[in-house]
Amino acid sequence: MNVARPGAFLVLVALVAVAPLVVHYPVLLTQALIFGLLAAAFNLLLGELGFLSFGQATFNGLGAYAAGLLLVHVAHVPILVALLVAALCGAGGALVVGALSMQGAGVYAVMLTFAFNELAFYLAFQLRDLTGGDNGLRGVVRPEFIGISLAGENAYYYFVAAVFLVVFYALLRLIDSPFGHVLRAIRENEPRARAIGYDTRRFKVTAFTISGAVSGIAGAAYAMLYGFVPLEVVNFDTSTNIVIMGLLGGTGSPYGAIVGAAIFTLLSDRLSRLWAHWPLLLGILFCTVVLTLRGGVIEIVHRLRPSTPRRKAPLRSG
Amino acid sequence: MELVAIEILNGIVLGVIYALVAAGLTLIFGMLDIPNFAHGSFYALGAYVAYTAMTHANFPLALVAAPLAVGTLGLIVDALFIRRLARAGHTYQILFTLGIVLIVQEAIVLIWGADPTSVDVPAALSGGIALGPISFPYYRLFLVAVAAVLIAAVWLGLERTKLGAIIRAGIEDSEMVEAIGYDIQRLFTLVFALGVALAAIAGALILPIRGGQPAMGNELNAISFVVVVIGGLGSYAGAVVGGILVGLVQSLMTLILPSASEVAIFAAMVLVLLLRPQGLFGTR
Repeated sequence: MNVARPGAFLVLVALVAVAPLVVHYPVLLTQALIFGLLAAAFNLLLGELGFLSFGQATFNGLGAYAAGLLLVHVAHVPILVALLVAALCGAGGALVVGALSMQGAGVYAVMLTFAFNELAFYLAFQLRDLTGGDNGLRGVVRPEFIGISLAGENAYYYFVAAVFLVVFYALLRLIDSPFGHVLRAIRENEPRARAIGYDTRRFKVTAFTISGAVSGIAGAAYAMLYGFVPLEVVNFDTSTNIVIMGLLGGTGSPYGAIVGAAIFTLLSDRLSRLWAHWPLLLGILFCTVVLTLRGGVIEIVHRLRPSTPRRKAPLRSG
Repeated sequence: MELVAIEILNGIVLGVIYALVAAGLTLIFGMLDIPNFAHGSFYALGAYVAYTAMTHANFPLALVAAPLAVGTLGLIVDALFIRRLARAGHTYQILFTLGIVLIVQEAIVLIWGADPTSVDVPAALSGGIALGPISFPYYRLFLVAVAAVLIAAVWLGLERTKLGAIIRAGIEDSEMVEAIGYDIQRLFTLVFALGVALAAIAGALILPIRGGQPAMGNELNAISFVVVVIGGLGSYAGAVVGGILVGLVQSLMTLILPSASEVAIFAAMVLVLLLRPQGLFGTR
């Protein structure tokens, strides 16, 4: 239903292309795109499958550390290889965490994604020889892309933008595919989807794995943006921020994640300079969205355009 | 050998704190079926309220003020918001309580500051009891006793009183209990407040040993979920035994491989999950 409306995607491409001309802060914009990937990976699970994952930072961290270690210890790694390795590590981690978490039903599974995130955090914290612990992993180089230097922040922005658009388009196609339809069938009524003959557990774990791969790519892009991997990439605050971005934008549309990530990145940049305690406002804003605007900010767009068919935000837990 | 004995005692101290918090979570999550993600935040708030009470007044007042103040807050949050979200489903209850986590953590920084706080063990409970070659602080003994009494009292209240019977009946079939004439929603809100109060008093009890810091709730939040998974969701006995087990594992690990003590408890959870998904005491 989204690929059928190529207009929205073209608008996104145009916005991403002109953004550096309007906001002269390429590092912040790159970060917004990376958050956009993380939120889109999260929304694939909550929006389509109806599963709330509380441990998305686990896969972001896996990708960041995998790419970081590769770029620190191995010379002349092509940038796409670094991204691919990060995607594979994110996917592998998500496969394990997803399969184990889905052992539990409903809320139980949600709690498990959270507990695995804590496990990953303590592992990253304690394996300091590998990860640098709370000092972070330093000296991550940013390779060039087919001979083009990405050392400049604008050049790197456009590289990440290309990766972002390719991955996001792939997600849109996935959501629109028969696979995506099965995910929504599971969201609406899992026993019925199973009764029709779908191995729902396999679909859920597969969706989880894809979400992990996208999060891994985001982690790698983050590591190369700052040239270092802070312990924060895998901590619970990052998972929380991903949840906030997804919900803020709205889970009823894949574009909601992008809107949420953009709002979150800009707000946290502006507000943190104005008032050190801005997370208090963020918490209040978040609670308000949960109480009154379940469709997120993108719901407002839909309300203003009553002609577009509106998808209901999922109300059930996975 | 003495080291092992000391770590076992410390593990029991840590374990009863975990048991207290997890027992509260069992009331809220296991029985009322409200996935309270802010449980650790109420524990942290309890510690900070106790900190203010101890620095301005005294320790006994702190032990009363912390559960009372934080329990009242829980009462308000449940009555105003969480109960209203019940129809929207678990996902939105989790998300709302996640918002509370953000608000509480930053409110603590705003009110009490970002630096860790500490208080001395109350004078009346300083010193220790000699157990053979080792000495065990009176305060820790007191902590274990208070926690044990509270855990037992809540269990007796639920299992042996009429009010407890009404609540348990309400959990089984709330419409039927309402039809008989009890305002079951109000009773559920009270149970929610009780669960929160248990977390708060655990925070108050641990304060003289570990001090307070704004993010202290997150750690306990994770651990209490681990305890609930290990013990079995909805099982009060499971929460208590699981809590003490986790405390012992974490404490004894400091003798073997200190850096792995947190990893060990999460690994224990994964093991239980693989071998016995319903938990040690769970039936579902």
